[in-house]
Amino acid sequence: MVMKSAVEDDDTGWGLGIPEKMKNNANWVDITHEFKGACKELNLGELLHDKLFGLFEAMSAIEMMDPKMDAGMIGNQVNRKVLNFEQAIKEGAIKVKDLSLPELIGIIDTCFCCLITWLEGHSLAQTVFTCLYVHNPDLIEEPALKAFALGMLKVCDIAREKVNKAAVFEEEDFQAMTYGFKMANNVTDLRVTGMLKDVEDELQRKVKSTRSRQGEQRNPEVEREHQQCLALFNRIKFTRLLLTALIAFTKKETSSVGEAQKLVAQAADLLSPIHSSIQHGIQSQNDTTKGDHPIMMGFEPLVNQRLLPPTFPRYAKIIKREDMVAYFSKLIERIKTVCDVINTTNLHGILDFFCEFSEQSPCVLSRSLLQTTFLIDNKKVFGTHLMQDMIKDALRYFVSPPVLSYKCCLFNNHQAKDYIDSFVTHCSRPFCSLIQIHGHNRARQRDKLGHILEEFATLQDEAEKVDAALHSLLMKLEPQRQHLACLGTWILYHNLRIMIQYLLSGFELELYSMHEYYYIYWYLSEFLYAWLMSTLSRADSSQMAEERIQEEQLKGRSSKKTKKKKKVRPLSKEITMSQAYQNMCAGMYKTMVALDMDGKVRKPQFELDSEQVRYEHRFAPFNSVVTPPPVHYIQFKEMSDLKKYNPPPGSADLYMAASKHFQQAKLILENVPSPDPEVNRILKVAKPNIVVMKLLAGGHKKETKVLPEFDFSAHKYFPVVKII
Amino acid sequence: MATMIEENGPSTHEQTEVSSSSQARQKLEGLLNKNMRIRMTDGRTLVGLFLCTDRDCNVILGSAQEFLKSTDTFSQGEPRVLGLAMIPGHHVVSIEVEADSLDDTQGFGTNH
Repeated sequence: MVMKSAVEDDDTGWGLGIPEKMKNNANWVDITHEFKGACKELNLGELLHDKLFGLFEAMSAIEMMDPKMDAGMIGNQVNRKVLNFEQAIKEGAIKVKDLSLPELIGIIDTCFCCLITWLEGHSLAQTVFTCLYVHNPDLIEEPALKAFALGMLKVCDIAREKVNKAAVFEEEDFQAMTYGFKMANNVTDLRVTGMLKDVEDELQRKVKSTRSRQGEQRNPEVEREHQQCLALFNRIKFTRLLLTALIAFTKKETSSVGEAQKLVAQAADLLSPIHSSIQHGIQSQNDTTKGDHPIMMGFEPLVNQRLLPPTFPRYAKIIKREDMVAYFSKLIERIKTVCDVINTTNLHGILDFFCEFSEQSPCVLSRSLLQTTFLIDNKKVFGTHLMQDMIKDALRYFVSPPVLSYKCCLFNNHQAKDYIDSFVTHCSRPFCSLIQIHGHNRARQRDKLGHILEEFATLQDEAEKVDAALHSLLMKLEPQRQHLACLGTWILYHNLRIMIQYLLSGFELELYSMHEYYYIYWYLSEFLYAWLMSTLSRADSSQMAEERIQEEQLKGRSSKKTKKKKKVRPLSKEITMSQAYQNMCAGMYKTMVALDMDGKVRKPQFELDSEQVRYEHRFAPFNSVVTPPPVHYIQFKEMSDLKKYNPPPGSADLYMAASKHFQQAKLILENVPSPDPEVNRILKVAKPNIVVMKLLAGGHKKETKVLPEFDFSAHKYFPVVKII
Repeated sequence: MATMIEENGPSTHEQTEVSSSSQARQKLEGLLNKNMRIRMTDGRTLVGLFLCTDRDCNVILGSAQEFLKSTDTFSQGEPRVLGLAMIPGHHVVSIEVEADSLDDTQGFGTNH
């Protein structure tokens, strides 16, 4: 305490002249000189720190004055004054009324670019809110700009709400933070669309009044004004249509989705005139071709710099105006596709729709819209169907289980009903999750597919138990019928699909090295696709059995009517495609083994790991699955051992065999009626590979030490093998 | 203060040299976990807990807050929270500590 008083005496001297701007009124004592002196006494490389603070903690510190880590230093390096909206109005740096048409067009186009950049994963603070006008539309006196600013905020708000609700984004997809900005919540959606419509009507009058009349001498001034009015009109109308379409998506009725589809189609028609009138708008004062933030009236890229989190600064590269229209037209195409989902009624069809949509790597907004269209707030599919009913329909379509057949005594059996209803209820959450997984970005899907296998393993177990219980019930009531492995087959089918997709996506994401290909393709061809095909044919025969029973029952009543007509089996297409995929995988497997024999596969120097470690890592998620049981490395080695053949095949035999597999795949695919793009994509790989394998079998370039190339450009999962 | 270091620093005896560096170490250790205010070359000021330093005077502050330079009129009021921050020695312009925290610190401010 004595010391303390001594310190306080000193303070007066030490603390003098230090600017007071801290909230607490502590006295600061300058120790720069002593501190630096004391530091010099430390040894080179020595860290002076508390025992609770080590190198590990030090690692996570951000480094100040490093442009890659220090978001705060950028703001200090520009010479201009950074003003917020109110300050800019006060200083007269920004107009809030009497803006010229080119100014309005330029501001709107830049806002569109910012909106797109935000949708592509940047923060609102660095994109849309670099436009000062949207900070507070109440201060804008120009009606067109005010309506546009409000419309912009509403678009952002609804998009944000949709993306948040769908929850299929990760930090790399989307930044949901609003940084406390008001998203025009004090104005209703209807009021904003109304304001936009008013501005639109006003502009339309101007467009009409400046239109050229027959025989009139055209004044170039008037012509230019006409063009600019039209340009502004199209932009305002586009904003309104986009907003109205997004509002339609928030409604609960399915009909509103059709309405949204019409609205975006109308918006799409405006894009070409918008594109051709970009040059009418004022341009930014700096060079934005390299993605620098545009600097122009109404925009201040650094206005929110202090709001950014203390993580590494991310530079928002605002897209160029020239690319804006192209992005919008793609976005609208995607939204139109999303709207089509309501025409799909079967759960399997919906799953396929989600898979196919995801293959285009769509943006987070369209992905989210698809999710929220599928399951509306009331937890019903498209707002009308119960998920449980969808699952029952899917089961009927896939295996026609007796328990769900109207003609079967189990259908009205109280106990059987309980069994199936509780099973279907348990299914609904995993299936919703499965559909949600397909909404995530491609890279994240893989990881999530690996995890959902655990849930499906539980379902598999339950399905088998319910099947057994239903079978014993049925044996008592209708001994001529069976209820064996119906639900189990269905779950197994989905299990296999997930596993196959998990493995295949590794090719798309370029996760595997060349020396790993052979066991991945082996697992697919010898194991997963083989299981899938037997599962599908079991489902098919189960369907046929059910149909036969129904036919017999019909025959009993009206014996004449049943004319044998050859019906296309519902699962035949899928069985055919699986055969083709299996042949492609088998061909690739044999190719890889043969290339390895010829020393044309580069292998890593296994020091700290081994092939077994990698193998086990690749198939680790399958360990939670009971059916099909995982194939362990030792089993794989035994099963794929070539020495069990007599004589063991050489590389030429294997190339030949691979060529036959590709040939087989080609044959199967060429006989597919009405081939879809996927069929053609596989054919594009199969055909060249047939030839290359034949050449290799004939000893072509056997001596070359150059490694072969694998070209995945034709198909995501199967490469064209190229020998150089 | 500076003279004090010089008094102890240059010495012909190895023993005193050791004691001078250990004294410096002790002084710095006394500052650990004290609130510190560091001004950087670009005019910004960071306030945070002193956690770590080394020979080149690189300093790590914990729970650091960033204040803009006093000349900046825009958004001066609110500090920005940075968390753990390392200031490279060559960007350190001045270092200050809270006077109250000096009472139990030997060597700094008390015995000059």
